[in-house]
Amino acid sequence: MRESTKMLLHYIAGVLIVVTGLIHLLANNDPGIGKLITGNVYLYLTNMAIFLAALLYHALNGVRVILIELVPDMCWTKLIGWAILLIGIATYIVGIQVLLMALGLV
Amino acid sequence: MMEQSSIDLWKPVKVVKLKIYRYNPKKDFSPKWKEYEIEVSRGTTILDALIRIKEEVDPSLSFRYSCGQALCGSCAMMVNGRQMLVCRTRVLEAAHNRDFVELRPLDNFPVIRDLAGDFTSFFEKHRAIKPWIIRRDFEELDNPTGEYKQTIEEYARYYQFTDCLKCGACYSACPTVATDHEYLGPQALAQAYRYMVDSRDDGLDERIAILDSDHGCWRCHFAASCSDVCPKYVDPAQGIQLLKKLIVRRKFGLKPHRPSDALPSKIGEVKRR
Repeated sequence: MRESTKMLLHYIAGVLIVVTGLIHLLANNDPGIGKLITGNVYLYLTNMAIFLAALLYHALNGVRVILIELVPDMCWTKLIGWAILLIGIATYIVGIQVLLMALGLV
Repeated sequence: MMEQSSIDLWKPVKVVKLKIYRYNPKKDFSPKWKEYEIEVSRGTTILDALIRIKEEVDPSLSFRYSCGQALCGSCAMMVNGRQMLVCRTRVLEAAHNRDFVELRPLDNFPVIRDLAGDFTSFFEKHRAIKPWIIRRDFEELDNPTGEYKQTIEEYARYYQFTDCLKCGACYSACPTVATDHEYLGPQALAQAYRYMVDSRDDGLDERIAILDSDHGCWRCHFAASCSDVCPKYVDPAQGIQLLKKLIVRRKFGLKPHRPSDALPSKIGEVKRR
């Protein structure tokens, strides 16, 4: 994947965090809209799944950028990329599992 | 009257202390500072002062210079902590409200000796972006039938970037270069943009493959210190942001460029020059 794709996804993830985070805040704090979202468990789950994915991608890509700047060696750059990807996938799987359990779906 | 002001310009007016960084990596364990006192006039530049120190006080002092008129970019160094061309910075100007003028080599460059830095990596990065016009019409190149003409709008897209002296001031001021030694740096990236938007150039995709990499244009965090210190008022930070835009537009198959999108900030000065 080219660096421009990674960075474009980084910016898109940033926008998604704002949108889905706002929906999440409204769902938990606004009685009117909250009922609409929390009433449908799948809608709530989808929003949270997108929020978690965007948050993880944005944060971990930020960490990757910092690390490859600090350790500019090409071998390390690749290794850092793969390590961050694996950490991201593992964290996402755990996060979704916790979410499913909290919503009583598993 | 002209004669009078000319005499005033060279009449000694003050004794100024120059605090100069001295270091020979082959001999010295660590760098040290040495102070020199020198009588200066209104017109004495820091380069004049350095040459006088070398000729009259300390012949071992090393620094790099060439044209002495802000055209070659050889004499860039840190003056009171800021990247400047010493050939066009007057001593009195630098000593204003200060007890001394501090001179040290450019940041982000390994020291060769005293005030001279090693530009090898800087020029390697410059060469890496292929800083020349790439053409595909080999038949025309071998047997030319005419000129490659440009409109003023096409010229205006890259005009300001042609002023680059390769003095290394932007590279020295860049906070990303300070940590990421593989990062191409503002000078090379701005020059890449200069060639990529040139209507005569066919090397867009060839250069994108180099620039759209782990240590390419996306590592710029837009501190804009490069543009702040450029002695020729080029805006490399703007060039890098436009370069990112160019790459993204290319990625989505959009027309690479529209002249009105990227009129350089110095375009207003075209007529004045």
